[in-house]
This record gives sequence, C-alpha cells and structure tokens, in this order.
Amino acid sequence: MVDPGALPSPLDLLELPLTRTALAELTLLAACGGLLGAFVVLRRLAFFAHAVGTATFPALVVADATGFSATLAALSAAAAYACGVERAGRSTRDPGDSATGLLLVAALGGGIVLASDVFESGAAVDRLLFGTAIGLSGADLALSGAAAALALAATILFGRTWAAVGFDPDAASALGLPVRRADVLLLGSVALAAVAALPAVGALLVSSLFVVPAAVARRFAGDVPSLLLGSVAIAVCLAVLGLYLSLWLDVPPGPAVAVLGAAGYGTCALLTGLRAPAVGT
Amino acid sequence: MVTGRPAVEAQGLALGYGVEPALEGVDFEVAPGAALCVLGPNGGGKTTLFRGLLGELQPLAGRVRVAGRPAYLAQTERTRLDFPVCALDVALMGSLADGRWWRPPGRSQRRAALAALGRVGLEGQAGVRFGELSGGQRQRVLLARALTQDAAVLLLDEPFAGVDPASAERITAVFGELRAEGRTLLVSTHDVESARLFDLVLCLNRRQVAFGAPAQWLSREVLEATYGSDIVVLEGSGDTAVRAVTVQHHEH
Repeated sequence: MVDPGALPSPLDLLELPLTRTALAELTLLAACGGLLGAFVVLRRLAFFAHAVGTATFPALVVADATGFSATLAALSAAAAYACGVERAGRSTRDPGDSATGLLLVAALGGGIVLASDVFESGAAVDRLLFGTAIGLSGADLALSGAAAALALAATILFGRTWAAVGFDPDAASALGLPVRRADVLLLGSVALAAVAALPAVGALLVSSLFVVPAAVARRFAGDVPSLLLGSVAIAVCLAVLGLYLSLWLDVPPGPAVAVLGAAGYGTCALLTGLRAPAVGT
Repeated sequence: MVTGRPAVEAQGLALGYGVEPALEGVDFEVAPGAALCVLGPNGGGKTTLFRGLLGELQPLAGRVRVAGRPAYLAQTERTRLDFPVCALDVALMGSLADGRWWRPPGRSQRRAALAALGRVGLEGQAGVRFGELSGGQRQRVLLARALTQDAAVLLLDEPFAGVDPASAERITAVFGELRAEGRTLLVSTHDVESARLFDLVLCLNRRQVAFGAPAQWLSREVLEATYGSDIVVLEGSGDTAVRAVTVQHHEH
C-alpha cells in the first residue's frame, strides 16, 4: 500500500547518489529516445523499436547466468535483429510485421524458459524485463552517453535524409541520397539506444522512451523540427516524473515511465478530440 | 533544336530486376533542349527505363548515358500525405541532390525552392502542409522539388495523372519554359494525343517498338504493337496519322 504521507521530496532525486545516477541515466536515455523516437514514429518503426529490446531478453538471461557481459550479449542480439530487419526492408521495403510478432513471442517465451528451467535464474527476470534504478553503474551511464551522442550527431547529419526517405522513398533514392547507409544508421542507433536503456528501463519497456514521447508530440507538431523538440521535451519530462513516481511507489522506473506515457498519450488524444494525429506512425 | 552531344542516349539497352530483362532492345538519343514522350502500357517498361537512366538499375546489356544527375518526378502514390512537411519543405528536398545532404538548407537554397514554387504557381501555399493540398497542387509541389535540383535533364513519370485542368495547364507551361532554357525532358504518359506535341516519341512494350518523330511513328500499327488490346483507334488507319486513346483492362 502506498502511503501518501511518505511522498518523497523532489530534491531527493538530486541529493541521493543512487537517484542522482538514475536521474542522469534516464535523462540521457530520454534525450536519445526523444530524438530517435521522432524518426521511429515518422518512419513507422515503432514495432521494430519495441521488438529490438525484447530480442535481447534471451541473450541477457544467458549472460546473467553465465557471467558473460550483458552489454555485449544484448548488443549482439540487437545488432543481429537490426541487420535482419534492414535486409528484409531492402528486399521488400517492409520490415515484416508478422516476422517481428513471431520474434517477439519467441524471444519472450525463450527467455522465460531459459530463465526458469535451464539456468533457474527466475529472480533476475523482473530486473531484465522491467529494469531497475538500483545499482546503475558508471559503465551504464557511459553507454547511455555514447548512445545519446550518436543519436544527436546522426540526427544533425542524417535528419534531412531520414525525413526525405520517409516522405518519398522513390524520390530520395533518385536525389542521390545515401538511403541504405542512412537506414542502417537509424536502425543501428535505435538498437544501440535500446541496449543502453536495458539496465534502467528493461527489455520489455524500451518503447516507453522510444515511441511514446514522439507519439504524443506528433499529435501537435506541425513540422519535423517541432516534432524533434517536442519529443525530446516530453521524453525528459516522462523520465524525471517516472523516476520520482518509482521512488514514491517503490517500483522500477521502466513501468512508472510506461504508465505515465500511456496516461499522457490518452489524455492528449482526449484533449484533441481523438482526431487523426498530425503525422503518421 | 540544339545540336551537339546528346543529353540522353541509350544503345542496345536491356534493364531488369533479376537476370531476365523487363525491357530490352532500347536505342535512342535525345538532344539538349528536346522533349521526348515515352509511351507504353502499364508494365511496358517506362518506369524501368527511368530507373535505368537514374542509375538505380545497372544495364543487363548495352549502355546508357545521361548529362549530369537527372531530376526525377516520381508518380505521387508513394508520397506520405500524413508527413509533417509543408510545400516549401518538399521543394527544399530538391537541394539535397547537390551532394551535400548533411548540411542544413541555406538562404540560397531557400530562395531557389521558393522560386521553384513560384514557377508552378504555388508561392502563396509555401507554408501549407503537403497533405492538405489538392492532387494537382501536390503534383506541382513535386515538380517544384525537381526544379530546385536545377538539372539539365528531367525525367517526369506520368506528371498529368490525376491532375486537374488548371494544374495540367500550369505544368505544361513550365515544360515549355524548361525547353526554352535548353533543358531536356523525358515524359512518360498514357495520353497518345499529347504525345504529338513532343519533338520525339519512344514507344515501349517490354522492348522498343518505335522511336522518332510523332508524326512519322504514331501509326495504327505502332500503337497496336505498343498497347495491344489496350488501344482504341478513333480515326485513321495504316501508316497515316491516327487518333487513338488507351484503355485500362482490369481482371476480376
């Protein structure tokens, strides 16, 4: 039972070393998720962003049980999945929703079987799926910082190309744009960012930072720069409020961010009269 | 017509998406400033030819040469109407073709894009979202994107499809201006009658059926070889000039 009297002070987020680290981690991830999320939504890659996190789950279970580097295991799984989507997209221009759905089920089911019956490490499943604010390390922060820096640099250099390809793929190719390189970079950046988000947000809730903020911003944004700014601002707000909520309710930050994001999206949809969003998903 | 090295030439060209050619036996050349009409049925190879001229498809046989990177006006079905871009944003995309795609657009590029929108009669709609424009206006915005590229050769894939008469008139006027500037136009269309207004006509049906002056080559035999049962001849016969329209057959 939550005790409203035990409402923590917002300053606790800055005063406690543990929450300071979590706040820095989630803020970096939010900036990264906001930037890339805008293009994830514009390019209709929301299902990919969700699946790439879940695809790492079996690898994380194996790494957790064997002592292998969780980051390397997750990066390998995410990179393999992103390569598969890029190859499928090149041949059919469709990431393959059915294949993605199958992979989601297989990754989740396979991870649970590995955790419960093979390695008997069931206690770690919650942490792998939903993340934790406790025990985030300097290495986690460094990886999130690298992912955020890559997202910012890639957006500056490739943002116009990503938008042009999303708007009209035939013409983008005819304009001589590096379409394939840009697509590989976008998928790779999302995969790296998803891996960076795993310790704090968990494999199952990665899309709470990579899809929800941009999906909310798209209901109001009239152009791509507004979408980018709105998406980052909403992601940072969600991350800070989500961490505060997780302190108060004593839950991992991933579910808190996800619940806040869903509530925010629902409220926006109601306020805008359930009209069609400003841009597509 | 300007003489000299052709702006576009193809010799023994065969193009395809695997080992089997989708289009073969293509031999033609177009001088700078000339306008070529590409006629053919759906699946006849018009878009395949354009993709070959753009360098997206490598020849399975023969060779092709184009003066510089051509500007391309694709068919409009694949543009996203829900995308958060205005007419000016779309016209500015043409400036990405200068090879410096990583740079944000500068003042000169904005001026060029606004001028291109002015040429197609949409300077007043520069800030209007692309998806809120009419079909004809959208086609004119996409033409403005091609104009922003400032290319010597323009490839225009069915630019009059689904366009209202006012937009068609404006697009036709821009084509005249482009030819007067010495630019080369290759325009694919189903409209046999409009083909007579071009300097040259190229008839395709998975191979080259005819190439030359419309008055010489738009005969009943050539049109029947190009369109098969998709052609309805209204008047004329043999190798005399004919009036004809194309019809689309759908299988149910």
